[in-house]
Amino acid sequence: MLLEVLLVLGTLLIYFLFSKKKEETLPFKDGWWGRGQKPLTKEDSSIRPFKVETTEEELSDLFRRLDQARFTEPLENSCFHYGTNSVHLRKIVSYWKNQFNWKKQVEILNKYPQFKTKIQGLDIHFVHVKPPRLPEGRAAKPLLMVHGWPGSFYEFYKIIPLLTDPASHGLGDEHIFEVICPSIPGYGFSEAPHKKDFNSVSAASVFYELMLRLGFNEFYIQGGDWGWLICTNLAQIAPNHVKGLHLNMVSVSKLGLTHLLSVLLGQYFPGLFGFQDEDVRRMFPFLKKGLYRILSESGYAHIQATKPDTAGCGLNDSPVGLAAYILEKFSSWTDIEFQNLEDGGLERKFSLDDLLTNIMIYWVSGCIVSSMRFYKENLQKGIGTQKHEKLTVQVPTGIASFPNEILHIPQAWAKKKYTNIVSFHFMPRGGHFAAFEEPELLAKDILQFVDKVEKEQLWKKKGE
Amino acid sequence: MWRDVLPNAWESILSRIRSFEYSQKNAVLVPAAALGVGGMLLYWLRSGHKIKTIDMGDGWWGPGERPLKGKEDASIRPFKIETSDKEIEDLHQRLDRFRFTPHVEGAAFHYGFNSTYLRKVVAYWRNQFDWRKQVEVLNKYPHFHTTIEGIDIHFIHVKPSYVPHGRAVRPLLLVHGWPGSFYEFYKIIPLLTEPAKHGLNEGDVVFEVICPSIPGYGFSEAPHQKEFDSIATARIFHKLMNRLGFREYYIQGGDWGSRITTNMAQMLPQSVKGLHLNLVFIARQSLGRLICIMLGAYVPWLVGFTREDVRRFYPYMQKNVYDLLRESGYMHIQATKPDTAGCGLNDSPVGLAAYILEKFSTWTDKSFLRQDDGGLESKYSLDELLTNVMIYWVTSSIVPSMRYYKENFSKDPDLSAHNRVGVYVPTGIAAFPQEIAHVPRVWAKDVYKNIITYSYMPRGGHFAAFEEPKLLAQDIMQFVQKVEQL
Repeated sequence: MLLEVLLVLGTLLIYFLFSKKKEETLPFKDGWWGRGQKPLTKEDSSIRPFKVETTEEELSDLFRRLDQARFTEPLENSCFHYGTNSVHLRKIVSYWKNQFNWKKQVEILNKYPQFKTKIQGLDIHFVHVKPPRLPEGRAAKPLLMVHGWPGSFYEFYKIIPLLTDPASHGLGDEHIFEVICPSIPGYGFSEAPHKKDFNSVSAASVFYELMLRLGFNEFYIQGGDWGWLICTNLAQIAPNHVKGLHLNMVSVSKLGLTHLLSVLLGQYFPGLFGFQDEDVRRMFPFLKKGLYRILSESGYAHIQATKPDTAGCGLNDSPVGLAAYILEKFSSWTDIEFQNLEDGGLERKFSLDDLLTNIMIYWVSGCIVSSMRFYKENLQKGIGTQKHEKLTVQVPTGIASFPNEILHIPQAWAKKKYTNIVSFHFMPRGGHFAAFEEPELLAKDILQFVDKVEKEQLWKKKGE
Repeated sequence: MWRDVLPNAWESILSRIRSFEYSQKNAVLVPAAALGVGGMLLYWLRSGHKIKTIDMGDGWWGPGERPLKGKEDASIRPFKIETSDKEIEDLHQRLDRFRFTPHVEGAAFHYGFNSTYLRKVVAYWRNQFDWRKQVEVLNKYPHFHTTIEGIDIHFIHVKPSYVPHGRAVRPLLLVHGWPGSFYEFYKIIPLLTEPAKHGLNEGDVVFEVICPSIPGYGFSEAPHQKEFDSIATARIFHKLMNRLGFREYYIQGGDWGSRITTNMAQMLPQSVKGLHLNLVFIARQSLGRLICIMLGAYVPWLVGFTREDVRRFYPYMQKNVYDLLRESGYMHIQATKPDTAGCGLNDSPVGLAAYILEKFSTWTDKSFLRQDDGGLESKYSLDELLTNVMIYWVTSSIVPSMRYYKENFSKDPDLSAHNRVGVYVPTGIAAFPQEIAHVPRVWAKDVYKNIITYSYMPRGGHFAAFEEPKLLAQDIMQFVQKVEQL
């Protein structure tokens, strides 16, 4: 046993010594993701207004499937430990059929202006909200917000008004944003790639083109889940255009000797590894909060990264199955302890209307399979193997660290990749779906971050 | 140095003996010590030969509390699979309204089940597949139900219709796995109950075959309580054989069946005449194994690998790490969130078919990944594949079948808890070339202490009984023949 540990340590040491982080930029990834060959004519770059629509047929088909759903009784006293509890799921389905009003929700979705535009062969959907009022002589700051899985642009509907009209929400009017929330290709109303290899760098390149097409030369970007990675890549592709990068989730893929040691000893010598008290509280005991949690929560990522077309097939055919699959994440990723509740704690932080609206976006667009493919395109070669994972990020970065996020990454680890962390705050409450669950907390953190960047003109410093 | 020490030591011993004084204390202590040492020696010698077994334990899997009074109903009730117009109509409606997602260009089976091919399968299922006819096929063997530990256990029991004079009939328990069922054995059963008719004159043995459904699979009731694992299954199957009047029997299995039958052999070795496996589970941890793997590529003979072992085992990283990671996503999600994973599959028959048939493709031959149709119909007929899927569909057993992964893996993440107990009953192993992972005999011996036969099969994959029934039957027979001669 000791010999094995020493061998592992030895290997890590050698790897660590020979690996170096470079400060290159990530090249822009051009591509053609449409069907068949890329046409010789120039792509239509018009921006067309878009409205979400529904039909009676769509609704009656949904209701028929809900009516005929086949449930399996849960084991006695299993709560949410085996996944979504079907007794509780039945109640949700009943609400879905009898009280949830999709037509009304569609009107809510359409309250913000939405558009579509063709980029690299794909129709990209996005929401673009300008401030309702701008004081004289002021300009709105463009902010790109990117969602993740199993979320959508809808996750930002509560935070958008706090950013476009902060004054009306008691947040001061120093910084007013115009917000752009695209749908990742393959999610919601954005067309799914028809070719292989559409990964986070591809998505970042597409969104970069989008921002340029909208006329923005400098902008802020914000994201969590896949949005974290896409925004990180965007900051690596176009550091001179990204004024600031704000994240509510961070992950590290390059683990070395220091990480191993800090996991083994960090609890006892936190100062030595740059851990703060809150870091220790959130990370340890490491086996339970780190390793076991990853293992018990990452089954979906494993199957989606290897067999997405199989995993999503049934979910595109059974709305109840789709709901069970997605809701499970809104339960355990909001608070891991919710697994011990019979109702998975789902309605403690979200309304059923909000949860079902997000699910309906996956259902009516039929995008569950293509959303899962994104895992394969990003993870199939393994974690820590791609070029962008070896590059650092130099743009000013702000990190909001929520306590119930699946995995806690301390600032000490994050700063190895994000070399210019301007703010890192431990948020008092909230989980993975930060914008959806705690919009005010997240908005405040974004505002204070932008304030720092603007006041200290930080984005100009890196150009020198 | 030793030459100096020894004479001195001997001298000191002799002087101590000479100075030995008789005293009452010594008279008691010395014999007591001698007895103690002798006893320990004897125990140590004997324990080396004593076979360890795993505890049988007991269980209750019915709903609610176990009834305090009354003996369990031990009757064996004949059972026939039935269907109805309503069931078929409901299936057809779901097939008709399946929502299809186009795959990326050039996907073949690399992203999972190819949706273009799936459409063809669904069209066949809707228009040509005849479930009523398949139900008759299923009912050609006698089915039964009996209640054990609170749940209804389904099994088929096939006796030879004709036993030539002087031939012994041996009971043989065949245990299926996931995503299979008792139906996987339908082609091999006649080869085992009537070998002569099928040109297999392998000695004097003829079998009567019992194929149960694992609780939670097919027509066996699903456990209502948590923690129903392979040990509980092994115990229930022993009770089943007992109830059928058998005291000694042969057992055979692959996939979960391999695990269950291994546990059965460890639980009651005196009842298991022979254990035959077409899949071996071995935990791979240890430095010794690591060295074995590294050396085996260059000097296989040094670590006990045969040439065929090397051919099947290397390149190591590709075949044993990357391939396994690529194929084990289903295992990971089923071992952690089975109720979520199975929910949609119990509601969408097409989703269920894609999920299950993907395994029948990749686990039969890894190169099938590159084919647009997953090579499915090169080894199986759509009728047989869909019949197996229908068993999961009509019994709504996909979720309980997945829970089995969580119940087994959460207690024992690398399935090695009972490796130390070992397996001492005569064991036969049929190693199929396209099995998901190859285990060389020299490693299998660490757990299976009494390997009588180990055969490299010429072709075939994971679903051995389904795909190569004749090859498997022949191997079972030659194994049993050897055991009978012991």
